[in-house]
Amino acid sequence: MSEKSRSGEDGHNPREIIRQAFEEWRRALEREDLWSEDSTRSGVPVKPLYTPLDTASLDYLRDLGFPGSEPYVRGAYSSMYRGRSWTVRQLAGFGPPEETNRRYKLLLKEGATGINGVFDYPTLRGYDSTDPVARADVGRGGVAVDTLEDMRILFDGIPIHEVSTSLVTCNPVSNVTLQSMYFANALERGIPLEKLRGTSQNDFLMETAITTAPESLPPAHSFRLCCDAIEFCARRAPRWNPVSFTGYNYREAGCNAVQEVAFVVANAVACSEELVRRGLEVDRFAPRLSFFLSAHNDFFEEIAKYRAARRIWHRVMKERFAARDPGSLRFRFHVQTAGAALTAQQPLNNIARAAYHAMAAVLGGAQSLHVDAYDEALCTPTEQSALTALRTNQILLLETGVTRTADPLGGSYYVETLTNRLEEEILELLEEIENQGGMVRAVETGWIHRTINETAYAYQQAVESGEIPVVGLNCHRMEEEELPMDLFQVPETLSVQEKRLRKVLRERDEAQVQKALSAVEHAATSGENLMDVLMEGVTRGITIGEVSRAIKRALGTWNAPLL
Amino acid sequence: MTRKIRVVMARLGLDSHWRGSIMVARALRDAGMEVIYVGNQDPETIAETALQEDADVVGLSSLSGNHMELAPRVVNALRSKGGGHRTVILGGTVPPPDVPRLKEAGIAEVFGPGTPLERIVRYVSACFPQNPR
Ligand code: B12
Repeated sequence: MSEKSRSGEDGHNPREIIRQAFEEWRRALEREDLWSEDSTRSGVPVKPLYTPLDTASLDYLRDLGFPGSEPYVRGAYSSMYRGRSWTVRQLAGFGPPEETNRRYKLLLKEGATGINGVFDYPTLRGYDSTDPVARADVGRGGVAVDTLEDMRILFDGIPIHEVSTSLVTCNPVSNVTLQSMYFANALERGIPLEKLRGTSQNDFLMETAITTAPESLPPAHSFRLCCDAIEFCARRAPRWNPVSFTGYNYREAGCNAVQEVAFVVANAVACSEELVRRGLEVDRFAPRLSFFLSAHNDFFEEIAKYRAARRIWHRVMKERFAARDPGSLRFRFHVQTAGAALTAQQPLNNIARAAYHAMAAVLGGAQSLHVDAYDEALCTPTEQSALTALRTNQILLLETGVTRTADPLGGSYYVETLTNRLEEEILELLEEIENQGGMVRAVETGWIHRTINETAYAYQQAVESGEIPVVGLNCHRMEEEELPMDLFQVPETLSVQEKRLRKVLRERDEAQVQKALSAVEHAATSGENLMDVLMEGVTRGITIGEVSRAIKRALGTWNAPLL
Repeated sequence: MTRKIRVVMARLGLDSHWRGSIMVARALRDAGMEVIYVGNQDPETIAETALQEDADVVGLSSLSGNHMELAPRVVNALRSKGGGHRTVILGGTVPPPDVPRLKEAGIAEVFGPGTPLERIVRYVSACFPQNPR
């Protein structure tokens, strides 16, 4: 249709008519000083009103399309929640494996549809429970796992051939061992790896930037171990997501929404390049790259963020990697509601916050969702707070009607504009990371640490000045607060682990163990895939501490430039 | 001769959360103090570092829940090495009911989640009124 034939009688086209009417409306607001600019938390400008004028340049099929088809802005799958609801995947983990096993079973019995397992600090950092530096942290923040025997107990009686399991292994060093233990346990139970569904976290930024420990692997080596696990799964466990790029964790360390997405995409690009370099075809592994994002306070910015991420990922995979499988082009993600947005003050308020966060996640099309518990800032969730969080997730799914239609905010003048603006910002930052030499280099030089740090500090100052209101903290405070609930007590773990570990050590075949450990060390140096070696090694009773020490002996350690 | 207030900051045990302690370190620096951020160290090493660096303040951070076991050990190690007069402060995920026992064990002050950085700066400055001393 030509402009002319669409014109109104007075010779103006409809858009022009809207523009004039809008200007008039705006002037009225301006006269009363009510028109002002604001911005989202990541700094994208926001006007008091959006109209068709803001989205006039959108080409529906090119820029939005349909759910499950290019460019995937409107959703990763065509039927979205009508076809399959998001996975209700609540985190759980504490104490010895038998205790966490009980919590998994409770959550599954109460309607959780996936497992989301967290490990304690020593396990994540590659120390045995009995190591002198580990003892005070055993069973804290997650479950203790030293050997395959613990993994057996952890998943005992859980139908891992049906339920999908997310292993929050965090960093690549702990991941190669824990994932091998999980796989070895499945094989023992007669479940072929081809059947296993689940995800391991396995993000090298977790080792080198987002969390740090006395001894982490140097970035390039940590990155390589991450790719080893991806490569192994592409060959042997095709339904397993061997990595979950942890934008959530970057965000919790202090990033904003733009940085969160730019960093996960840059990380995934780096991995894809490495795997292609190793000779894998992109469509062989890319459908199993998965993402993990946050849902923070800025409701519409978060929703636009998920939509922008889908558009960007589609473009990157298609243009840069010439991917063709729809699985490679769709950005699939798990969401956890923002823990750092929750307060120790008036903790029950966190139930409301987490519910808003969760709503943003599903309006943005998340595949899987964890809702944080109200005691987040105080302790590991108690049974009661964990159940309340589970119920919050289920109320959203079953009572609110949000599942009825895909991408319900698609076409919103505001959300579409924000999606475009965030996309621009993210692409710009992606280019900056390229200029820094790519993700691995940006970590090595400390650029990533500095960037996160600056944003986190600015955020902190904005909360302290009151520019960012936090109810119960910098406004609507209550001076005398009584804790309205009981806090979680970590069950006795060290003695349980000590006893079990001693038994494993006593019963294992020392010669086989030494053979397995030198194979690990050798593979670490030679570049052979470590997963191949460990799948066998863990069945010999080697411990996570022994593996980590062997790897670090071979590859050295690194201190993150934090300050 | 005057000198800046010297603060050694460390994370207890294997706690890997750095956001809070780095924010505090920056705020203290911005307030003109000398901050030596050592990351994770065991309690005895923290005490040794504090003495070597001649720290006025030892800042401990723990978000993992290991504070009841490890924070008092830092105080004891300092005392046994003749550094008992140094101020030890703690921040992180410390449930309010733990605070009285930590103070009994010699921790001067505890700053939990949500504490304004400005309050921490004010506290440390107030410990050394003749700053720079
Ligand atoms: C952000 C965060 C993360 C980020 C960490 C990013 C980073 N680089 O720091 C990520 C997502 C990576 C993370 C991971 C984990 N986390 Co976390 N995390 C949080 C969270 C949500 C906020 C912490 C935070 O940074 N707040 C903002 C800063 C500014 O506040 P702050 O740290 O409290 O610091 C303030 C004060 O405490 C104080 N302070 C702190 N340090 C110091 C030091 C001194 C000297 C002084 C004076 C003051 C001071 O001043 C600061 C300013 O006010 C808390 C829950 C919460 N809401 O508090 C959980 C929490 C600390 N995490 C927890 C856990 C268990 C983990 C994991 C171990 C889970 C797992 N098994 O995977 C992992 C660790 C993984 C690993 N590989 O090691 C638990 C700890 C449980 C417990 N103590 O009982 C918590 C409490 C959540 C929960 N309820 O389960 N986490």
